[in-house]
Amino acid sequence: MFSFQTIIDNLPVLIGSARYTLLISVLGCLEGLILGAVICAAALSHKIWLRRAAALYVSFFRGVPLLIQLLVAYYLLPVIGLNVPALVAAVLTVGFCAAAYLSEVLRGSLNAIPKGQAEAAAAIGMVPLDVWVRILLPQALKIGLPAIVNELILLVKASSLVTVVGIVEITRMSQSIAAATFRPLEIYLAAAFIYLAINLVIAQVGRVLERRLAV
Amino acid sequence: MLETLHRYGPDLLTGFGLTIFSWLLGTAFGFVLGFLIEIARRFGPRALGYPIRAYVEFIRGTPFLVQLFVLYYGGPLIGLRLDALPAGILGLTIYGSAYFTEILRAGFDAVPLGQIEAARAIGFRNSTIVSRIMVPVMMVSALPALVNFAIILTKETVILSMITVPEIMFQTQTMMSETFAFVTPILILALFFWGFVEAISRIGRRLERRFTHYLIDRS
Amino acid sequence: MTHQPAAPAAAYLRNVNKFYGPFQALKDVSLDIPPGKVTCLIGPSGSGKSTLLRCINVLEDYDSGEVRIDDQLIGYETPGGKRMAPRRLREMRREIGMVFQQFNLWPHMTALQNVAEGLERVRGLSRAQAETRAREALAKVGLGDKEGNHPSHLSGGQQQRVAIARAIAMEPRIMLFDEPTSALDPELVGEVLGVMKQLAAEGMTMVVVTHEMGFAAHVADRVVFMERGEIVAVGSPRDVFDAPSDPRLASFLQGYRERNSLDF
Repeated sequence: MFSFQTIIDNLPVLIGSARYTLLISVLGCLEGLILGAVICAAALSHKIWLRRAAALYVSFFRGVPLLIQLLVAYYLLPVIGLNVPALVAAVLTVGFCAAAYLSEVLRGSLNAIPKGQAEAAAAIGMVPLDVWVRILLPQALKIGLPAIVNELILLVKASSLVTVVGIVEITRMSQSIAAATFRPLEIYLAAAFIYLAINLVIAQVGRVLERRLAV
Repeated sequence: MLETLHRYGPDLLTGFGLTIFSWLLGTAFGFVLGFLIEIARRFGPRALGYPIRAYVEFIRGTPFLVQLFVLYYGGPLIGLRLDALPAGILGLTIYGSAYFTEILRAGFDAVPLGQIEAARAIGFRNSTIVSRIMVPVMMVSALPALVNFAIILTKETVILSMITVPEIMFQTQTMMSETFAFVTPILILALFFWGFVEAISRIGRRLERRFTHYLIDRS
Repeated sequence: MTHQPAAPAAAYLRNVNKFYGPFQALKDVSLDIPPGKVTCLIGPSGSGKSTLLRCINVLEDYDSGEVRIDDQLIGYETPGGKRMAPRRLREMRREIGMVFQQFNLWPHMTALQNVAEGLERVRGLSRAQAETRAREALAKVGLGDKEGNHPSHLSGGQQQRVAIARAIAMEPRIMLFDEPTSALDPELVGEVLGVMKQLAAEGMTMVVVTHEMGFAAHVADRVVFMERGEIVAVGSPRDVFDAPSDPRLASFLQGYRERNSLDF
């Protein structure tokens, strides 16, 4: 028999654990945006070694599964004497991975901005950094918004993998509850629906933001 | 290092094989299921639209890992008792189908309506219109996205290790925990994925040429 | 308006109505298509000419009235009754060729395959027979040497001629042309109109929606002027172009002459 009671009893704890899911995906996304902007700038640089480094970064973090990246961080960081808390390691790793994807998003968006924008800014004497921060990035963020929201949704799902480094977010919590109650079907389905709810909310917020910005 | 490789070589080979095997079946079945879903949505009764929409939203809105847990640990409660490997392949199939069906939908939508009308005006039946006109034309626009998603699926395949499928990730983790050597296993993993993804991209480019040969000037 | 009861119509519409939501695209339209003749539909854009044409082979469902091909109802089982079974509709469509504004050739097939495909899949000919017939049709439109080209390697005019070959290869009883030259560069219009004239001279029953008043004036046997979903005037080219009786027709022709500043 499908036991709704099990779900109702454990729902508060499960939802409580969602704060780690959100923390990791939101912070990871922010880190990804900042680092992604830097990588994107490197990819568009005139210096060939910067472009090469950016390309290498992107192909590594997009090519190797996140699960492997997390294990590298988990096993390897202590070996080289970096004893960071698991949560920090998880956020950093997720962010490093997101940066690879987001740098490509930003690059695509920048390509969509008419060349004249940067030229006009340079013509009135703006320094390159200002051209980037004041003129190009705000427009790129706006154009890239749907893709960025999509990336955040991917991160919410990807954050389920940080169970392997022992952080008790939704998936890890549901594993423990499933083991304790012998009700894996109900608990994992409940967990799935919590993820779904989070992602539907993010998608909705994204649509509202898009409409706001589309003046 | 050579000693470790000698000791773990056979296990690693099994791991490589299982990863490629599950990816191959998961991708193929996922594509076929996704195609059938799209055909049902496009040509089936309108009432099918809502359950299909819900299926796609659910699969795309939840982590693959959690879907695997539902299937593998939750399945037996409703009589679906699967070993880890079949469960993993079924999971990949279901997960892939939701994404493939969306890619195919966009591809079919991009087929110019006029080309379909021309076929209808001549008197083709629907099945002929799909197989002779829509699929070949759709493939041109959808193929890059299909290949891209097939590559994404290679990375999802390592998640099968979490339900104890002894694929490459599982094998290297065992190796790591037994030998406390990290660099070699991780190097092996990285090289394997690099080669794997590169091979798929190449096959994808070849397929693309096959499907778009008529756009290329031969004169 | 002159009636031509002499020969039975190859096709006719009786009191046909067509709605797009609240917008009525065809208002109680009745029209005879005489056999072996060229009927041209003219009128401003949005007047319902293309809709009327597309109702003849039911690419567009009409809402009420009757459309008959050789006295056989198309689109419905009985007037105002059930929709026609898809299989039966397909059988009737074989007899009606259609040429589109955007050519709508299939991009993944060569010119020859584009023409042969319907013969093979719909007429059930063998591959060899289909290709022989397709070659004949291509030769007829003057493209015998282009059979191996894909549409992307043909000019617009050549593509449209392949599309005409695709339609005539099926040996239809009626040919519908939906603005066949509107998507073409001006210098390519002539070759397509030339093929159409040749078809007309062979006695093909043709219905042509066109903006080419010159073609309508010189090739049409009957000209139908439509506005706002209604047939406003029908007559010989001489009646319609030289002595327009209806003020709306007169102002349409006046506007056309001013834009093109030429006589016909």
